[in-house]
Amino acid sequence: MRHYEVMVILDPSLDERTIAPSLDTFLNVIRTTGGNVEKVEVWGKRRLSFEINKNTEGIYAVLDLTSTPDAVKELDRQLGLQETVLRTKVLRREPAKSAVKA
Amino acid sequence: MRDRKPQPKRRQNLLTKEGVTVVDWKDVTLLRKFISDRGKIRSRRVTGLTPQQQRQVATAIKNAREMALLPYPSQGR
Repeated sequence: MRHYEVMVILDPSLDERTIAPSLDTFLNVIRTTGGNVEKVEVWGKRRLSFEINKNTEGIYAVLDLTSTPDAVKELDRQLGLQETVLRTKVLRREPAKSAVKA
Repeated sequence: MRDRKPQPKRRQNLLTKEGVTVVDWKDVTLLRKFISDRGKIRSRRVTGLTPQQQRQVATAIKNAREMALLPYPSQGR
């Protein structure tokens, strides 16, 4: 089990209220494999510093997970298949350091 | 011929020591201080960071760029 940090950029045309629930359905992959979702943080709309797929804005969301490597890989794959997901990034996060950002 | 060339402000020395021990790539306002208006990463000569800190900052900026939080160096001329 490892700590991961997943950042997702979603299509700006989505309704921000629907984001947390729809992300949650993806997170079932983590939960069913014994992982744990520690935090789901939706930053809301932000300007992108450059265009991604002709979008100048994006909705950011950050997920904190404890999970097996395979489950995260699967999560990343499934998110990537979604057309509303502009970009994802998965990073390992050291547990001790995670306390820095509240 | 002894006098040195005027050094561009170096006194920014260890901005990171102002409380930040681990550079977070999501902290855009902090990272913005380490890039020029062209979007380039400031050199250690300018930032006055230690090698370890500079490396942390550089990787953080690169991660942030991938997620469109920070710009890539603008092209041209």
